[in-house]
Amino acid sequence: MKNKKLLSLGLAVSMVFTMTGCGSNGDGGDSGSSKNTEVPTIDKIKLGEDYKDLKADITILTDRTDIVDTTYKGYAEKFKETYPNINVTYEAITDYAESVTLRLTNGDWGDICFIPDSVEKSEFSNYFIPFGDHSVLNNTYNFVTEKTYDGKVYGIPNGGTAGGVAYNKKVWKEAGITELPKTPDEFIKDLQLINDKTDAIPLYTNFSAGWTMGAWNDYVGIASNGDPDYKNNKLLHQKDPFTKNEENSGPYAVFYTLYEAVKQKLVEEDPASSDWESSKKRINDGEIATMVLGSWCVNQFKDAGKHPEDIGYMPFPITIGDKQAAASGGQYAYAINNKASADNQIAAMVYVKWLLEESPIFDDEGSIPALKGKELPESLSEFDGVELLSDNAPAEGEESLFDDIRNTAEVLSGDYPVTEVLEAALYGKKSLDDLMKEWNQKWTSAQESYSVEITG
Amino acid sequence: MAGSGNNAGQQTFAQKFASRKVQRYLVIVTFMFVPLLLLLVFTYVPFAKMVQFSFYDMKYIGARHFVGLKNYVDVFKRSDIFGSLFVSVYYMGGAVLQLALALFFATMMVFKVKGESIFKATMFFPYLVCGIAVGFIFKFFYARGYVLDTILTMFGMDPDNIPLWLQDQKINNFSLVATSVWRYTGQNMVLFLGAMMSVDTDLYEAASLDGANKWHQFRYIIMPSIKSIIVLNLVLSISGSLSAFEPPYVITNGNMGTGTYFVIMNRLAHENQRVGLACAMAIVLLVIIIICTVAQKLFFKYAFNDGTEDESKAAVKRKKLEAKKKGGA
Repeated sequence: MKNKKLLSLGLAVSMVFTMTGCGSNGDGGDSGSSKNTEVPTIDKIKLGEDYKDLKADITILTDRTDIVDTTYKGYAEKFKETYPNINVTYEAITDYAESVTLRLTNGDWGDICFIPDSVEKSEFSNYFIPFGDHSVLNNTYNFVTEKTYDGKVYGIPNGGTAGGVAYNKKVWKEAGITELPKTPDEFIKDLQLINDKTDAIPLYTNFSAGWTMGAWNDYVGIASNGDPDYKNNKLLHQKDPFTKNEENSGPYAVFYTLYEAVKQKLVEEDPASSDWESSKKRINDGEIATMVLGSWCVNQFKDAGKHPEDIGYMPFPITIGDKQAAASGGQYAYAINNKASADNQIAAMVYVKWLLEESPIFDDEGSIPALKGKELPESLSEFDGVELLSDNAPAEGEESLFDDIRNTAEVLSGDYPVTEVLEAALYGKKSLDDLMKEWNQKWTSAQESYSVEITG
Repeated sequence: MAGSGNNAGQQTFAQKFASRKVQRYLVIVTFMFVPLLLLLVFTYVPFAKMVQFSFYDMKYIGARHFVGLKNYVDVFKRSDIFGSLFVSVYYMGGAVLQLALALFFATMMVFKVKGESIFKATMFFPYLVCGIAVGFIFKFFYARGYVLDTILTMFGMDPDNIPLWLQDQKINNFSLVATSVWRYTGQNMVLFLGAMMSVDTDLYEAASLDGANKWHQFRYIIMPSIKSIIVLNLVLSISGSLSAFEPPYVITNGNMGTGTYFVIMNRLAHENQRVGLACAMAIVLLVIIIICTVAQKLFFKYAFNDGTEDESKAAVKRKKLEAKKKGGA
């Protein structure tokens, strides 16, 4: 009897201790034998020279479940040749954006992650350490502006994409199209030609995957008006941004392209049962002529079948004045955990620098390199004469305003608003002008709720 | 209590502690502590938080602003939110059909059929497939030119006359409801069957001797005996159809007019990060489900009466009357 009591007492005590153990875990990170306490900025590190004796195990979270055990593991091994004491482990997460948003809130998630879009700029310093000052890093790297807050860079993208349209060159040629379209109406006319002369589906919307519809929002920025200030600084203050203009450019033109294509039945017969995975092979085989997606898709389309040479990538068909423009933007940006130990933070910083400057990641993914001065990938060769611009930083104090407004307005945010455009055209219940009028109203009321000044 | 009552009033603490009453409470508290703690931490605290969030304009991370009842006003004012409740009507219709089917099959099996266990297993099988997988199965089942279309053309239907199952707004909700009927009928059937097994088989024999046919046996023997299970299943399916999520989410992503309340809630919470509004939606739904459940209970109490209660009520009345008479005499 007594023994039992003792046993239970012991059990209770041990349970209490394990619980306190959990409690102190959070700040126990840097209690090891760390010598380095000062974490350098990324521009100060000399690859292959500094920190060669640093010992650390770092974990990096990624969304690329498909290549985590092949390509990415290869990077980690190659990195080890220069830095033998740093072990890099990749952890692939399927439902990346949502799970990481939740995991960020407790500091125990690893050392490097891609910043999910849901983290607002003002929150960066709660989760990540800065890579350095924007004024310095902006000279070395592309796309750092997107993840900058208060002059500090918290994330550097692992490459950039250009916004355009993927197409099957062979099908377009068969339809007798020799010159790429430059306006929405030319584009629709070309789709009609493809419909008449070939068996291919002129434009595959990939409606049922959802995010593929959300991709249309990306063209509202630079592609629709050629102004790098538009998305972050002008759209917010614009009165009724979705109104039609004479030139047929601007946000209206983007959604006009989709609406007309659907209305004239130049898309797949049953968008509700479209399928993303098989569509990659079908555009490769020439069963699909066109898809509107960022340039990251090009390599995937090429890999999906036997005709990689048929896949082309053209700018979005909107002309402003006499020029076309394309947005080039960063992909997911690397960021480093501010709750990791100093040693791990340094090791992570070194690894990120190595990935950006010495790994073959940009060739592998066909993306625009983050390091300035590197050559454009071959897949973007048709962007000759097209201005490649990236969005300028928002004005001070308005860093998260664009997100706030589009989330409140529920326009330009996520996939659903674009599916509304397709449904309106498909069922013919609502004209595009009516829908855009609704969007203007939503936009205005969101602007009012944040008391934004209307300037133009 | 009983064991330690000798010198009441002057018990030491040790004695008190050792007393049966205190020990009993100790045991009760110790055993209840863990489950109660789990319940509290994982159910009630999050729920209280949700109620709190519903009064705020907030995102998952970042500042929160108190907005009072604005979120609740929005739930009722926005046509996309409130309209989505009408989509649930399809699922309620489906639930009734599903219960009727389940009841029918269960009754068949109670009266000994050949290959009973094979039928039972086949009918129950869909329930074992996870909901997301069911969604994907039917996504391809309904897709243009896939399973259903092929079967229909095999039976000589002109491919041009086959509707687009997921796109045509006249039928796409029926298509989705059919998947959930397919999935849950077997499970309901097994529940009914379990309840029916407890009915004494002698009753059927006796009833058939009295000239009752199968319908009479079902109506007057089986139905009254499993009434509580029927009510339970109905309550579960109606609240389930108000919170239908998987079929529309996986198959159509809630587009083309198939967005149920949950799908819209998920969209607002995750795509637009309007957590406060989504919490308010959740609470409104909770209230609606409570109302529906109570209404069903009342309905069954008064409208769907099998007669036995009247008898017992009458018996009580009679007794009271008799008592009165005796008292009066």
